[in-house]
Amino acid sequence: MNIAYGRLANTTIGILCMIFMVAPLVLVVLFSFGSSSLMTFPIRGFTFGWYGALMARDDFWSALANSATVTGAVGVAATVIGTAAAMVIVRLRPRQSAAAFFLFGLPMMMPPLVLALALLSLFSVLGVKLSLVTVVLAHLTFTMPFVILIVTARLRDFDYAVIDSARDLGASPLKTFLTVTFPLIRPTLFGAALIAMALSLDDFVITFFLIGGGNTLPTLVWGMLRTGLDPSINALGTLILLLTIGSSALALRLTRYRG
Amino acid sequence: MSDGAPLSLKRDGALLLPAAAVLAGLFIGPMLYFLVVSFFKVSLFKIVPGFDLGNYAKVVGSYGPPILFTMGIGFLIASVTTVLAFIVAHLIWTRGRRFSGILLAATLLTLFGGYLVKIYAWRTLLGRDGIVNNTLVGLGIVREPIEALLYSPVAVVLVLVSYLLPFAILPLYGALRSIEEKTIEAARDLGASPWAAVRDAVLPRCVPALVTAFALCFLVTAGDYVTPRMVGGTRTMMMGNFIESQFGLRMNVPLGAAMTYLTITASIAVIAFVWLALKTVLRPK
Repeated sequence: MNIAYGRLANTTIGILCMIFMVAPLVLVVLFSFGSSSLMTFPIRGFTFGWYGALMARDDFWSALANSATVTGAVGVAATVIGTAAAMVIVRLRPRQSAAAFFLFGLPMMMPPLVLALALLSLFSVLGVKLSLVTVVLAHLTFTMPFVILIVTARLRDFDYAVIDSARDLGASPLKTFLTVTFPLIRPTLFGAALIAMALSLDDFVITFFLIGGGNTLPTLVWGMLRTGLDPSINALGTLILLLTIGSSALALRLTRYRG
Repeated sequence: MSDGAPLSLKRDGALLLPAAAVLAGLFIGPMLYFLVVSFFKVSLFKIVPGFDLGNYAKVVGSYGPPILFTMGIGFLIASVTTVLAFIVAHLIWTRGRRFSGILLAATLLTLFGGYLVKIYAWRTLLGRDGIVNNTLVGLGIVREPIEALLYSPVAVVLVLVSYLLPFAILPLYGALRSIEEKTIEAARDLGASPWAAVRDAVLPRCVPALVTAFALCFLVTAGDYVTPRMVGGTRTMMMGNFIESQFGLRMNVPLGAAMTYLTITASIAVIAFVWLALKTVLRPK
């Protein structure tokens, strides 16, 4: 009896935790289509009006363009730099590679506020002008560790015999990488890039301090929250969720990464 | 790994350079500069270099209660999240394919998106006319809507636990997956109850992951200023809020840097204490 109760209690906690994680997101999506301007049940009617209101704003389009620029640049740069590092880390001795993971993982553990303020004070003393470039540079620090982690995991169970054969048959290291290694790990690289992009797209705190002027999608949300009740914020929230969750879902399919 | 590896460390160590440059130039460098600045002074709105412990003295003297409050709420949030996350991770690990599949999908999908979106969704959920209050009144559990649900420390705890759960579940699930089932079977065969098997055979093997999950949750909470500002109300001021305000209206970067380093130091002390405690309590038997 006792065991059965314990099992039931655990299942209940599991289901409640899941609701706890998912419910806020589901509600935002639901209310973005609701015709009432208040977020209360029951939802009376269905409308695309809030999306229309969002599209009619000029600042939405410039924020979208800025987000696309930053996200694209971070995705490419973090993946290239992280993959190069992973190719070295994977062949270090276990102790050394653990140390490398720890070092490169540090920015991941740091609260974004601390990262943002430390970079902001250094940029300001060096006279670096804040722009999308400073945002991209800052995003590299906490997206790169994810790329290194994912790509190293893939390279660990890589069949090195195919590389040896290519080299034995006279291919240069670069040619071997381009014709053998890269095609084999390509899905993982796309996956890693998508994760980096999702993280970058979702970041608010670091972007807020380092962008200088203008908006990305999350800082636009912040601005709308401060100006009062505007239901098109649900439409914007849904759009951000669609982009971040969509790209990470795709990434998880590609990499088969499970923690 | 084969010896005929196509890359040799000596020749190809250079591949590590760009990543090392990012780490050194954009993380370690700024953090060190920030540490140095914490000993500078501000006079007439200008930063004056020097070695001055005044900032630290000021933080200890005037910001003691907020630091303690931040550490306390951080400890609460990180503990609750880690315990719940372990239960969920354990369910994913032990239950049938369908249930664990759904749990794992919910975890992975809520991981990478919507920090700000989640916070403002909770704000509408917990408000006076929000869904939580309407349900409670509708079910007759309370007569009047609970005003204190939103704009209180309770709201900060709810929002951050909900936000942090997926981050804590993943490392724990990773640790559980690497445990061989034989270990548990052996414990059960020797007569251990399910709970005893988890306590003596499973939990001790998860200590590093438990500490990772706790540390991650604790550090995010200690450095957060958006959640307390959005749902905490005017009286819930955490260190993140004070740190952030030194870079906005008050413009006292050295003081803000000193606050940051004291908060980080206190956080590391709490995490180290939790690590030692877990290592002592959870010994493999």
